[in-house]
Amino acid sequence: MGTLIIVLTYIAYVCIVAVYTFKVVGWLRLPPHIRWDLYPVIHEENYRYGGSYYEQQEWWTKPRPKNRWRSIMYSLKDNFYMGEYYKRNPLYWLFLLPWHLGFIFIITFHILCFFAAVSMVAGLEISAASASSAGKSFYYILLATGGFAFLTGTFGSIGMIFIRLADRSLRMYSMPMNFFNYFFFLIVYGSGLFAWLALDPTLVEYRAYWLGLITLSPPVLHPMTVLHIILFDIFLIYLPFTRSTHYITRILAYFYIRWDDEPNQRGSKMEKQLNDLLGQKVSWEGSHIAKGKSWVEVATEPGFPDTKKDSK
Amino acid sequence: MNKIIHIEDFSRSGGQLAQIDPAELMPLPPPYDKMSKPPIRQLTDEQRKRMDASLDGVVAIGLTPPANPEEEKAFIDKFLAGLEKLFTIENNWTFLQPLVHTLDYCVKCQICSDACPTYLASGRQEIYRPTMRAEILRRIISKYIKKENSLVRKFKASDIDLNWQTLARLAELAYRCTLCRRCAQVCLIGCDNALISREIRKIFSQQMGIAPKELHEKGAVQQLKVGSSTGMTPAALMNIIEFIEEEIEEKTGRKIKIPVDKKGADMLLIHNAGEFLAWPENLEAFAILLDAAGVDWTLSTEIAGYDSVNYGVWYDDFQFSRVAIRQSLAAKSLGVRKISLGECGHAHKAGIVVADRVLTGDLNIPRESILPLLEEIVISGRVKLDPSRNNFPVTLHDPCNMVRLMGIVAPQRRILKKICPQFREMTPHGVENYCCGGGSGFAIMQSTNFPDWRSAVSGRMKFKQILDAFHDVPGPEVKKYLCAPCSNCKGQFRDMFEYYGVWEKSGILYGGLVELIVNAMVDLKKPFIQWEWH
Repeated sequence: MGTLIIVLTYIAYVCIVAVYTFKVVGWLRLPPHIRWDLYPVIHEENYRYGGSYYEQQEWWTKPRPKNRWRSIMYSLKDNFYMGEYYKRNPLYWLFLLPWHLGFIFIITFHILCFFAAVSMVAGLEISAASASSAGKSFYYILLATGGFAFLTGTFGSIGMIFIRLADRSLRMYSMPMNFFNYFFFLIVYGSGLFAWLALDPTLVEYRAYWLGLITLSPPVLHPMTVLHIILFDIFLIYLPFTRSTHYITRILAYFYIRWDDEPNQRGSKMEKQLNDLLGQKVSWEGSHIAKGKSWVEVATEPGFPDTKKDSK
Repeated sequence: MNKIIHIEDFSRSGGQLAQIDPAELMPLPPPYDKMSKPPIRQLTDEQRKRMDASLDGVVAIGLTPPANPEEEKAFIDKFLAGLEKLFTIENNWTFLQPLVHTLDYCVKCQICSDACPTYLASGRQEIYRPTMRAEILRRIISKYIKKENSLVRKFKASDIDLNWQTLARLAELAYRCTLCRRCAQVCLIGCDNALISREIRKIFSQQMGIAPKELHEKGAVQQLKVGSSTGMTPAALMNIIEFIEEEIEEKTGRKIKIPVDKKGADMLLIHNAGEFLAWPENLEAFAILLDAAGVDWTLSTEIAGYDSVNYGVWYDDFQFSRVAIRQSLAAKSLGVRKISLGECGHAHKAGIVVADRVLTGDLNIPRESILPLLEEIVISGRVKLDPSRNNFPVTLHDPCNMVRLMGIVAPQRRILKKICPQFREMTPHGVENYCCGGGSGFAIMQSTNFPDWRSAVSGRMKFKQILDAFHDVPGPEVKKYLCAPCSNCKGQFRDMFEYYGVWEKSGILYGGLVELIVNAMVDLKKPFIQWEWH
């Protein structure tokens, strides 16, 4: 059983990283689009009221400072706060936020477990009774992160089932997949919560599991912990096939669509890319679009029959 | 409560899907709380036979039903072929990334619904939810483009029956969204359901040649043919300019020669041609102010060079690009240093921002809004102004395209704060503003009962906002000014105020920003603004 969870865990991590990477790269490889900015644009100086560089006369002669750090913080903040939901549907927010925090913290917990295992290999004792303050701190951080993930994830999954059924507008647009996800995630978090509270209050088994993973020595664990780990591995494999990639793509959408206010300048790399795209042949069939011509050829024609030529 | 409508209902033939119930519409303050007439005119039986109105009893496009099953099949096949093209780089690089993102990542949390003024003002009509169009499209893609098997479709609730009726309703529904993008602004995932409306319009136009007449045939096509979407030829333009010069002299005693086709001028000013015909006072005010400030500017008589509108931005990438290119060519032929856009919101967004990635090489002539220049003239004191001349209640409408979609928020406010002692904001305002209800071409669409719909439904939230801004002076005895620096918004206000009888009941006049500036000019003997409804 110990070998199985080691192999399964490696497969799960390779799978989640590969599929997420594939999806994100696919997103990023989409061609540049027409500008479709939406204000406020957070890197702008006057972002507080939604102002842009277009508020200046001859804006193209002026510097356009961009505060990227503020943009990054703004986009990350919503993963932990979701203020728009709080403002507009507080009950939904009450369940949605813990549900999302469950994801973030369970992943964080496993990453911390990895580092804990590495530290243990290096000789650090991680426990409440550790002689080292680093070992002691690590222990409590792991305990808090794991416990918080199990609690918020379980609460959020139950709450999401409830709110998706209770709120008419959410219910109407829900799909069986949503409820499958909520139940499945509830089992994942719930099994973790049970294993933690009833069997492994110090999470020593997790540390043993991660130590086994990095040293490739199968650990001996309680069956309940094993069950939770198997469920968690399946969760990792399944996750990228849900809409969960939005944790990453929502940030990309902010930067590459909503806040993309970079003007096209003569001789720029952007202009070259655009010229390539404008040179491609289009196949739309509307009568105002000539057949077999490139984008730029169609755009430079008037799009209606030349009556003077026709009358000759 | 409005009837619950499911996506499956879109495919049911016969009958009208949604009813606009006056009792369900968002309440308005008195005296507009009791309307004597029904909010939306009923179509005649003859109209119903000729045009599909099975969505909500309103006609924006008015598709004619197919004569036989073969015609229906051809219609559906053509739509599906267009839908496939929407996901190819060569055909749709223009919006591929935001389109794919919205379709793939929307979690249907419905946060956007509460941001949509049309949905809210309609009394939360299910069909007007911002997510509705996207969900229909998503299901069509799942079943007919990706051809996902029935089990997957059940798991993802993505089943739909596609027939002529589904598509006719979807086409109409794409014209129930003003593309104000308030929904996109609140989306934490970065999805844009307004864009989905635009992309649906695009399939119908670019693939099937279907678009509202006012946008396509009488709009973009006419602009490319004769020079302006209004049908105004260069010769007619010259006559109107002459008329405007006479009007200026009559009103102010000043002899101003409006510069036309002035080679090498610093700035080509392009107005929405609607101003020439409907609101010449806006052009008069521009001419007076720019003359007084000593600005080196010109108008153009080239095709599209005297009409800043670009209706393609709402429904068709090629029509959009054609107009943008011709506007640039007009500037290039005059050898001006820059193009400046007059008071028109969508022309701002289309000409300055959206055209940015279509105009390459020497067509990429610097383009800017006229508002920062107006601000500079007012704040610098280059022209002497007396705010007491504008001592009446003034509120400001934020055109979505100019404000939420391109971030020009402060210049117009700094001007109004300087010259209008009784200026007051609407709530909410700035980038969180509500659309006038005439966005995305609605203001010019006059098909059957569509104008009723935009006054009663899509413009309702804005109308309430305007009344609330003047709540302390509600009666017609105090004349009030709604400043709307956008021709399309003014068109919507003209129709909506007429519909509700606003001038008689509340004494609210709408107009542009530059008129207020000129009204405050110290060396004009008479007030420039004439308090007459037109």
